[in-house]
Amino acid sequence: MKDNVPIIELKNVSKTFGGVVRALDSVSIAIYKNEVVGVVGENGAGKSTLMKILAGVFPPDSGEWYYTGQKLTFPKNPKEAVERGVAIVYQEKGVVPALKVYQYLFLGHEDKYSEFFRLKTNEMKKYADEMLKEFHIDCDIENFMYELSPSTQKMIEIAKAILSLRLEYGSDNTASVVILDEPTAPLTVEERQDLFNYILKMKKATSFVLVSHIMHEVLEFTDRVYVLRDGKLVAHYNLSEDKITENDLFKAIVGKEFVEELHATQTGRNVGDEVVLVAKNLTKKGSYYDVSFELRKGECIGIFGPAGSGKSEIIKTIAGILHFDKGVLAVKGEEAKSGELPHVRLTKGVGYFCGRTEEQLFFNWSVRKNISIVNMEKILRKPLPVINFNTEKQVTEKIMQKFRIKTPSVDTDCQSLSGGNKQKLSVGRWFERRPDILLLEDPTIGIDVGAREDIYEAVLEMKNEGVSMVLVSDDPKEYSTLCDKIIFMKSGRVEKVLNALEFKEAIVT
Amino acid sequence: MNSSKKKGSEILLAGARTIRTYPPLLMIVVLFIVFSILFPDRFLTPMNLSSILGQFVTLILFALGPSMVVTTGSLDLSYVGVWMLGGILVWHFTPLLGVAAILIIPLLGLVTGIIIGVIQVKARVPSFILTLSVSAGYAGLTSVLSGGYPRVVRGYEFLTARLIPYVPTALLWTIPLIIVAVFIMRSTKVGAYFYAIGSNEEGARLAGINVDRYKILAFTMSGLLTGIGSIIQFQHLGGSVPLTLNMNTLIQPLTAIVFGGTLLTGGSGGPDRTIIGALLFAVLYRGLYISLINPEILQLLIGLVLVLSIVIASRGLKGVTIT
Repeated sequence: MKDNVPIIELKNVSKTFGGVVRALDSVSIAIYKNEVVGVVGENGAGKSTLMKILAGVFPPDSGEWYYTGQKLTFPKNPKEAVERGVAIVYQEKGVVPALKVYQYLFLGHEDKYSEFFRLKTNEMKKYADEMLKEFHIDCDIENFMYELSPSTQKMIEIAKAILSLRLEYGSDNTASVVILDEPTAPLTVEERQDLFNYILKMKKATSFVLVSHIMHEVLEFTDRVYVLRDGKLVAHYNLSEDKITENDLFKAIVGKEFVEELHATQTGRNVGDEVVLVAKNLTKKGSYYDVSFELRKGECIGIFGPAGSGKSEIIKTIAGILHFDKGVLAVKGEEAKSGELPHVRLTKGVGYFCGRTEEQLFFNWSVRKNISIVNMEKILRKPLPVINFNTEKQVTEKIMQKFRIKTPSVDTDCQSLSGGNKQKLSVGRWFERRPDILLLEDPTIGIDVGAREDIYEAVLEMKNEGVSMVLVSDDPKEYSTLCDKIIFMKSGRVEKVLNALEFKEAIVT
Repeated sequence: MNSSKKKGSEILLAGARTIRTYPPLLMIVVLFIVFSILFPDRFLTPMNLSSILGQFVTLILFALGPSMVVTTGSLDLSYVGVWMLGGILVWHFTPLLGVAAILIIPLLGLVTGIIIGVIQVKARVPSFILTLSVSAGYAGLTSVLSGGYPRVVRGYEFLTARLIPYVPTALLWTIPLIIVAVFIMRSTKVGAYFYAIGSNEEGARLAGINVDRYKILAFTMSGLLTGIGSIIQFQHLGGSVPLTLNMNTLIQPLTAIVFGGTLLTGGSGGPDRTIIGALLFAVLYRGLYISLINPEILQLLIGLVLVLSIVIASRGLKGVTIT
């Protein structure tokens, strides 16, 4: 904060949707030069609306926009926003995998580098190369995007945003803002660290607005934090002066205490003696080797390790999505052969849930259909395969209440639900079905703390009632909240097995 | 007075809701009015209306089965082949089996459906090319079996003997088929699973659905429905067996499916929409037909409308959700 005049200041911004829903209520924020500003809040708190106003997606109903102290109108479209120095990197926009790095960097800006319809490829390459060097991105301009790791891809996306600012807005002007909407959602723990190191380096070139659900990221890497709740600005912390903890931030966001801590004390209870799943020397070449463990009734085992450690492949193998080369897998004393598909495993009692909802849900369907498709056996008029629509509605409503899924009705399109509600819906479907073994892969990826708590509560309820679980995630806290036993994986091999308490100590140190 | 007003508005509201779910209904009404005004002495005649119904039957009998397959995200164009080859087989076997020979057509449909389903699932080839090739192959076989002459099969005229003036008897046979198809898709597990596979195949797999088995089942049911329909179709279209694959016979049922608002990518639509699509196409076709424009131009127009409707069906109209 060398300058006292903010680059961009929004004053008393309000936005109403459909005349009823007040998405933003008189919110004011300021962004200064060379800083990282965090914006946090639950889903539906107004973060996205605020970011979209900043990025020019739509203007607010009322409010003022100041640019280095000068009053201007709101940008009418994203291009105008870029011309005023604001660019956005969306959470899910993604890269174009088939393009080379330099092609992707200049995508949309080819006009500036062409003469008579011919692209000045050499100049583009030269500039792209300079940018990669300047931003210390470790890849070659001739690499294809799909060859890069997810974190490098994200870095290139950020570089692209900065490049577009430079091209459209002025090459040396550092009075610009790049909005990062949950940049770390698709990344693993190590990749997140890389990305933030990069962002901290980039601070000298531009300012950042970081939208994130991950508290410690926000506390560690931002200079100031704005907290939104129900469309209002409820708190503003200057992290260099205010000493606040994750718990403080959590309270500001949801207005209640952590429930996670309560659950942590419950580990190890209600674990039965009956072994429901046995893996013996499971091997899938190139992914994991000689993995053995036993899962008991009501127990939750976590498989922990960095990306590429084989944890994701193991859980997918148990689900029947991938297949193993060697070893033995047995479900409830019955051997499960390698080529079995998910529906066969499901008849044996193995259900799989992944937090990446686009793989799981039917977006063009209503909430009701999404739930009933998994619980078909419950809603049929036995013995006929005919659906009883009343039972269907009852089952749906029960799950929606249980998981506090917020929708106008059971017939609302799944597409229109917020990320957190989609995820709750996706887990909720299994709640009624109750498989004996539930496989959880990244169950709370990319959702806010409130929704996360709801999911933990339901998962723990199932566990207490005797459902066994296997968890794979990127969030160490999730393991300590849910698991009784944690298997550490490294390069495809089991390194050690810890119980919940040992694990807690291990991740603290 | 007041209550009748309320009732009236309720009816209007219900109508608006129906149109929202089935937007092509509105198009049918509009086209009907437009054609009636343009050609008052030719469009609203019993003869023409009867022709519209006849055309509707032809379309729906071919499109009913495939519209179930389309919900799973695949295409089934084998119907013309089944109809042609079935016809010539009946001609061959009628002297041998008598009237029972007509049952060869549904059997052929069933077997064809199973074969297509298994090939599609095991070899993972695009269903469009696969089923088109089956139709072409069957057409060739028909040509061989017929000895090179169009064959007329007699003895089944009773199937389509007129019962009600101006109403094609084939329509009466078609209604139970439609009801069965709609019921399967809307109210049974099988239907729900078909939609699931078309909407998100990976999701369906993860939800524990045996995707391959239900894909085969979709083709099998489509083949069987086409086979049963072809019994009626056969008589409805005059009882003779054509020798070459007619592009119109192939494309028009597909157009009816798309007209109804079924996405060719799967996961939505279904037989109920195809009924409306077929009716819309029949009205449009007959309307243009009696306008006495050049038949070649008519072909062109139908082609253009098909392209347009595919674009609309895949993008969706503003304010209209396709489910």
